This record gives sequence, C-alpha cells and structure tokens, in this order.
Amino acid sequence: MMVKDGDYVAIFNSIHRVMQAEKRLKELRLSILLIPAPRALKSDCGLALRYAAADRPAVEGALAEEGLLPEEIYNKKGEDYIRCR
Amino acid sequence: MKIVDCRNMTCPMPVVTVKRALEEASGESVKVLLDEGAPRENVARFAASRGFQVEEALEGEGYAMLISGASRESTSTQPEKGGQSVFLIASDCLGDGQEELGRLLMKNFIITLLDLSEIPERMLFLNRGIFLTTEGSEVIEALEKLANRGVEILSCGVCLDFFNRREKLCTGSVTNMFTIAESMLRAGSVIRL
Repeated sequence: MMVKDGDYVAIFNSIHRVMQAEKRLKELRLSILLIPAPRALKSDCGLALRYAAADRPAVEGALAEEGLLPEEIYNKKGEDYIRCR
Repeated sequence: MKIVDCRNMTCPMPVVTVKRALEEASGESVKVLLDEGAPRENVARFAASRGFQVEEALEGEGYAMLISGASRESTSTQPEKGGQSVFLIASDCLGDGQEELGRLLMKNFIITLLDLSEIPERMLFLNRGIFLTTEGSEVIEALEKLANRGVEILSCGVCLDFFNRREKLCTGSVTNMFTIAESMLRAGSVIRL
C-alpha cells in the first residue's frame, strides 16, 4: 500500500547498505522512503527504498556514485512489480 | 435515523466521524452525506469491513450512504473478551538498544500494518511516541492510510505540550489520560510497543 503505480522500489540485501543509502540520499535532500520490502518481492524482513519515477535519475545516480547500487530495482505497474535491474 | 454530514471534510475525518456515529447509534442505521472520491470510498470500505450493509444514492452534488445492519464486531465500547486491540506506543523506537535501529524497526512495523487484514481499533501515542504523529515523522503517510481504514490515531496532549509539538500534530487527534486509560481497560487486548 505504500507503493503507488509507477513508483520504483530498490531492494538491498544488507541492512547496513540500505541504511547507508538512506542516510546519503537524505543528505542530498532526495525524496525517498525506507520501507519494508513488499511481500510480493521478498519473504524475509528485507528493506527497500521507495522513490517516484521523477526522482529515479537523481536517486540511482547518487547511489551509483557512492557505490551503493541496490541488488534489484522494480517498477510498480498496476498490481505487478516489473524488474528493471 | 441519525444523519451525519461529512461533506467538506478531509480524510480521515469522514471515517473517524462515521465510526463515532455508528458507536453512538448502537445498532440503528446511520445516513451519511459524503463528497465524491476518497471520502466516499474510504467510508464504504470501512463500513463493509465492519460487517455493515452499505447503500448509496446520489444526493445533490455528493452522495448519501445508508449504513445499516449489525456489525460483525461490536461497535460498542463495552468490555469484551477477545475484542479489538489497542496499541500503546510509548516510544519512537521499537525495542531497546541502538536508537537508529529502533526507529527503523518502529517505522517498518507501522508500515507493515497496512498489509495486514487485522488492524487495531486504536493506536495511542504517548511520551516519545508522539514524534511519530508530528511533523518530521516518516510514518504520517502510513498512519493516514490506517486512519482511512478506521484505526483511531490518538496522541497524548500532555506529551505534545511537554515536547512543544501540539501545533505540529500531523495526523489523528489529541487525547487525554482519561481516554487512554479507558481505552486500555475496555480493549480486548493491549499491545505495548
């Protein structure tokens, strides 16, 4: 329910990496939210970052620069998550 | 029949108002006047989730919704074994120890509630818990969505004043210790976080 149609969800497999990514993106004042990974994508208590399509270049650019690119990135289309990384 | 006018109210106030009206009506039908869009959808979803029958009709520029039938779960506030649960949130952290982890866990817990079919009747925020309902909180969006499903979000007035955050309340309403204590005594279960 926290992910709207068109939003992006980045999944990290390390709590330390996702927290580091959240901290850095917040320092850059980018509009992201740390959320539990949607159940459709992960069954354990994984964490994910949610961001809007408009923020995608800035968010993923910053993560690449910091060496913090996520394991997987999904785009929500209707009820489905389309993997794009 | 009781008539409740929820036109020109912003979410989640229509759901909160209808919930109170149904509690006061003690089983009698309630007619609700609503604006089109989210208020109408949220009230219909809330009433259906509580086992009420919902009939809708166009009325003027909005909708009239007749909510009737006995609720699956009692809407009365009488003590009831196995009744609805109340969450007492007395901190902005879940668990002791590392605050950074505690804050993250609390945020994730609240967001996760949105994916569950069972939700609490009320969430009572006190002490540092009020940092979750006031400006700067990252769970306002999630709490608003829970409120739209009928969860009552209440923050302790004394706590808001202590932290000078009464003007910064972003979701739910202000409550007092009388209501907090009464809610806990009347709940089927109280879950303290």
